[in-house]
This record gives sequence, C-alpha cells and structure tokens, in this order.
Amino acid sequence: MIADTLIIDRGVSAGDAWITVPSESVRDALSGLRSEGYRLMTFLTCVDHLADASRGGAPGEGLRPAAAQGGPPPVDDFPKRFEIVYQLRNLESREQLRVRAFIGGDPPKIDSVQDMFPPANWDERETYDLFGIVFNGHPDLTRILMPDDWVGHPLRRDYPVGGETVEFSQEHEKWQTAPEDA
Amino acid sequence: MLDPMGQNVLTTTLGKLVGWGRGNSVWPAQFGLACCAIEMIATATAGVDIARFGSEAMRASPRQSDLMIVSGRVSQKMAPVLRTVYDQMPEPKWVISMGACASTGGVFNNYALLQGVDKIVPVDVYIPGCPPRPEDLLNALMILQERIKAQGIKPRQ
Amino acid sequence: MSETQGVTITKTGQAGAFGGEILTVNFGPHHPSTHGVLRLIVDLDGEQIRGIKPVIGYLHTGIEKQMEALRWQQGVVVTDRHDYLSPPINNLAYALAVEKLMGVEVPPRAQVLRVIMSELTRLSSHLVWMGTSGLELGAMSMLMYCFRERDTILDMNEEISGFRMHTSYIRPGGVFADATPRFLEMLDKFIGTMPGHVDEYENLLTMNPIWRSRTIGIGRLSPEDAKVLGASGPMIRGSGIAWDLRKTMPYSGYETYDFEVATSNDCDCYGRYLVRMKEMRESVKILRQALDRLPDGPVNVDDRKMLPPPREELETSMEAVIHHFKLFTEGYSVPAGDVYVAVESGRGENGCYVVSDGTHKPRRVKFRSASFVNLQALERMALNHMVADMIAIIGTADAVLGDVDR
Repeated sequence: MIADTLIIDRGVSAGDAWITVPSESVRDALSGLRSEGYRLMTFLTCVDHLADASRGGAPGEGLRPAAAQGGPPPVDDFPKRFEIVYQLRNLESREQLRVRAFIGGDPPKIDSVQDMFPPANWDERETYDLFGIVFNGHPDLTRILMPDDWVGHPLRRDYPVGGETVEFSQEHEKWQTAPEDA
Repeated sequence: MLDPMGQNVLTTTLGKLVGWGRGNSVWPAQFGLACCAIEMIATATAGVDIARFGSEAMRASPRQSDLMIVSGRVSQKMAPVLRTVYDQMPEPKWVISMGACASTGGVFNNYALLQGVDKIVPVDVYIPGCPPRPEDLLNALMILQERIKAQGIKPRQ
Repeated sequence: MSETQGVTITKTGQAGAFGGEILTVNFGPHHPSTHGVLRLIVDLDGEQIRGIKPVIGYLHTGIEKQMEALRWQQGVVVTDRHDYLSPPINNLAYALAVEKLMGVEVPPRAQVLRVIMSELTRLSSHLVWMGTSGLELGAMSMLMYCFRERDTILDMNEEISGFRMHTSYIRPGGVFADATPRFLEMLDKFIGTMPGHVDEYENLLTMNPIWRSRTIGIGRLSPEDAKVLGASGPMIRGSGIAWDLRKTMPYSGYETYDFEVATSNDCDCYGRYLVRMKEMRESVKILRQALDRLPDGPVNVDDRKMLPPPREELETSMEAVIHHFKLFTEGYSVPAGDVYVAVESGRGENGCYVVSDGTHKPRRVKFRSASFVNLQALERMALNHMVADMIAIIGTADAVLGDVDR
C-alpha cells in the first residue's frame, strides 16, 4: 500500500474500500497507487456536504462515513465542504479503491491528476463546471456542460434546482430558493 | 393584395391546390436531440412509414425544409442553436414539438432545460409522451396537414 | 500549437503540409449524423484531420441535480433517460447501488428477469447502432432491417412494462411487475428468429467491399491507448482486451451464464463492428439460458419498508396502511454511506455512484458514463484520417449524447 502517513482514514462502505488522503498530497497518493497497479481511473467527482434547507442540520452532519461504520470519529478534514472522490481500479487484480480528499475555500482548489490518468481530463472540467473546484495544473479548465457564459455552479447545494414553479409542490418551491444559511 | 381576391372562386381553388401540395409534401428538418429522436427515426422506418405522408425527405439542411420536429430536450446551450436553425428555414414553416420535454420540459423541471420549446419558437402541434409512439408523431403530422390544407395561400400571421 | 495527450492541435492560418492553410471547420451540434448533438471543431489540412476537439454540453439535462430533488423510488424514472438507448441497464446500475446500500438481495426470479431485460436492451442498442452506422456509411437498408427487429424488442418492452423505451422496469427492490405469459411467448419466438436476422446483417455487411474499405484501418485505437484512456465496452474489446464487466466483475447472476466475451484484434472500426455482431449473438444465447432457467417466485424483495404492500392488504391491515402512507409520502430512507456499482451497457461501463446521508433523498448521484470517457478517445482515433472517415469514427465510438451530457 502507499505510505500510511498519507492515509488519514480508511474504511469499507457497502463493500467498497475507501481511503481518505489530505488534499495537498493527492498527487503523491494517486501516483503511489498507480505504481501499485491501480492504473485506471473510473471516475472523479465531487460531493457537496453543505447542509441545506431541505435536510436541516449542520454542515457535515449528514454523511459521516467512518462513524456510520462504527469506526473512529471523523478528523479535522471532514467538516470541509467539498469531498473530491476518485475511483481507481486495478485491471489485473480487478480491485477497486475509492480515494477521497476534502477541500474547502473559495474557490476550492486541488491539484489536477489528468496527466497521470487521462480520463480525468474531462471529469475535472465537469467538476469545475458544476461545482466550481479549481484544479491546479489542468491545461484547459473551461466549462464543458453549461454554456460558457453561465454564472454559478449548478450542482452545488446552495444552487436552486431551478425550473418553473408548479402547483401543489411545496417541496419544489422550497428548493427553488436558496436556503438562508447558504 | 390577397384580401380583395379572397372571395374569388379562382383563388379559393388555387388555395386548395396549394394547400394540398404543401400539406402532402412536408419535409421535416430533422432536429433529433434525445430519446424522441430515436422514435422519430423509427417513424421513418418501414414499420411505421412516414414516407406515405410525403415526409420521407428528412432534410439535413434547414434551408430545404418546412417542418421542424423538435424531438428531445432543449438545453440552455442548445436553445440559441435551435433558434438559429428555425430562423434559417424559409416561410412557410411549422414546428411540431415532439415529446414532453420539448413541449413543457417534461420530467426535468430544473435549471438546465428550457421548459418548453415554445419559449423560443412558435409551435403548431404538441405531442405528449415520453417518448411518444411513432404513431403519435404520424397523428400530429396529420393534424398539421389538415391545418396546412385549410390555410391555402393566405400568408401566416 | 497546444499539446494535449500527444495530440497536436494546430490553428487556422498555419501552413498545411500540402501548401495550403489549416482550416478550422465547425461540425455543429445540428448535423445529420444521428448521434445527437455533438459539436466537433475540426482542423483540416486539405482533407486530412489535424486536430479534433469535441464540444459537448448541448444536451445537459441536470439529471444529477434532479435526482437530488427526487426521492429514492422516484429517481428510477430519471435514470432511464440519460443513456436513452439502454434504459433498463441504467435502471439496473441505480437499483443495484441502492440495494447494496440497503443491504437487500432481490429474489432469483427478479435476477433472471433483470438479465433478460438487460440483454434485450443490449440487443436493441446494438441494433440502433448498426442501423444508424449503416445509414451514415451509405447502407441505408440496414436502418430498415435493424429497426424492424428493434420494434419487436420494443413490443416486448411494452408487454412487460407498458413502455416502449423508457421502461423504468428495474427498480430498487426488484422489478416493476412479473413477466406475463405473452411476454414469455414473444421472447421465445424472438430468440428463435433473431440469430437468422443477425446472419442477414452479416451477409449484407461483413464481406461487403464498400463496408470493408470504409471501416478497415479507420479509427485505430491501440490496446495500450484504450487502457490508458479508460475506454470500455466494444471500444476496448475491439482492441483485443477481453474486459467485459459481466465476466470480470459480474453482477445480478451473470457468473452463472455461459457466454463468450467478444473481442477482435483489429483495433479499428471493422473490429468493433465484428465485436458488436458477436455480442448480439452472445446476447441471444444468454436470453435462451435465462428463459430456460426462469424460476418461480416473487419478483420483489419482501420488505414492506421498501416496497408498498399489495392493495388487498390495505383493507385489513393497519400496518400495511402505515407502510403505504409512509412510502408514498416521504419514501424510504437509505442508510448513510456511498457505493459505486458498474454494469456493462452496449457502450461500456455505465456506473452509478450513490452517496446517501441517511434521508429519503440522495445526497449525490453520479453516473459514470461510458460515452463520456469513450469520446475522449476520439482525438486519438481520428488524427490524420480523411474528413469523410470522421463519420465512421464517430459512429464506431457509439456515443449517446444523453449519456455524455447527462
């Protein structure tokens, strides 16, 4: 395995093994895993842990991977808002591993890994487009799914679902507007 | 110019002829966007033949077509493209909005889709369904043909 | 000039190899190729492609955001619509993910019905690919033949679920409804006639000199490139690597079926065509085995917290009424956690990454789309080909734009 100093947390969720690494050392961790045989990146995405009006509760309270498994309580990195998830696969041994890194900030930044894993090129652009995560070192970090002049990052939790108001749908109206504590 | 001629027997017969001609050879500009496009292609195939209605020539170029069948969801990025294609079509032109997404936004009531293509182009016939059956598209085409024939040579408002 | 992954993209105005200039042409989102709204910015040097840049996003539907606003059981309807050529397979990825998080296992009859629907969908998806590819390369009659078979499959879909295309048939907890006797009859008949039809297509195309000259040597993707770029499905199997999720990481009982993985060492469009033909035959084999072994039993997991009770029970049992009420107002809650499940669709690895925070709606649903990743290989495959071959190459990538843009 990669150096244990890099792993902050690890666990198994519904049969999938995962590890948490600090966001500064994501490149080291992934290149270490790559040399071990995890040469395919299946996908790269982001999860926004902001609490919002439809769920209530403090940020980070919803998902607590380690505590849910009965493991040690989450460490300092966890209350950060954005969780970048990388899914790696070893084609020979057919094992999969999920790597997480938590980042916060405005705009949230993390290193790009598209030179190590080419499929990450468009995945990072999509994550930038929909969440606003800036990937340092990406050659062409532009919007890929939304129009180029779109303002805002749609998949963030404080961005309303949008669309038209429909009758008899109170929940939909709650989602239409950004929550107060966004 | 046509108004004083409106009551003339000759022009009503001419109008009927023109309407018959236009209605029976409506050439769609294929604007297949998403799932409804597959059903539109299925309408053109042998089982449910749209060629019987004169619409076999699904033109790729909007300049050579009269009907735009918007089949599929129209996203924010695609909306200006759709309007450009519509503008390129010569008069007289018609629009069929095929499917729930094109008519009203469908299943997706969110930021990314235009909630109905009638926000940017005038629509003549709406077809509900997700996706509508090929026979539904034929039905809509027939409704449109009735309208075209009734219109005759009067220019559209 | 910019270097991306070994692809050199030159700009208009630079001198081309034949003494002219590089011309940047826009193959706009509205074009007659029926693969949807894909925009390509192509740098041409005479007729040769010097650089190709896909621009996507013209069909972005916000599916992932929409699913966060819908309950778990409502989300199934939306999963149908991203890869719109294989809706039950998308349903399957989502259903497996939710079931893994809930920790339930569907009954055997449901497993077999799921396999039947997946294979029917794979056939239908390959038929659309064949029909449209044939149409684009000039074999127009392929469209008619393939859609005729596809109509039979859609009739079966309609028989079992009421919908022709977006069936929403495979749901977390089982399937929508049991197979009717008429469905099983239709399936039996279909299995008998389909191999003959595949023979028909092969007779038309496989040894056809026009088809061969338009696809052999076009769109080369070496095995190393395919692995590095993350290609999956016929893109990687057409380069000789036998990676099929149904065999290598099986799900839903696929390990118990006897079928071969179709590969081809040709690494070009023709190889991928052969792979898809073989896959169609193997699908029919799997359907035969599935139909033969269809066990009796329930088709849904017997968990009242997940699926509503039958209507008769509502008259007698208060508990059933409470379950019914809870399920149709708030919906069930899935325990917190996250899971990734990948299934093999006609295009490759279609996966569903679900993050749950323990409530009645998902936190995040991400679809790993095979077409999104396969399309990134387009640059590598299309370089230095003629512009007319570009259509063949886009066809062979078999990208469904709904899947790419979600």
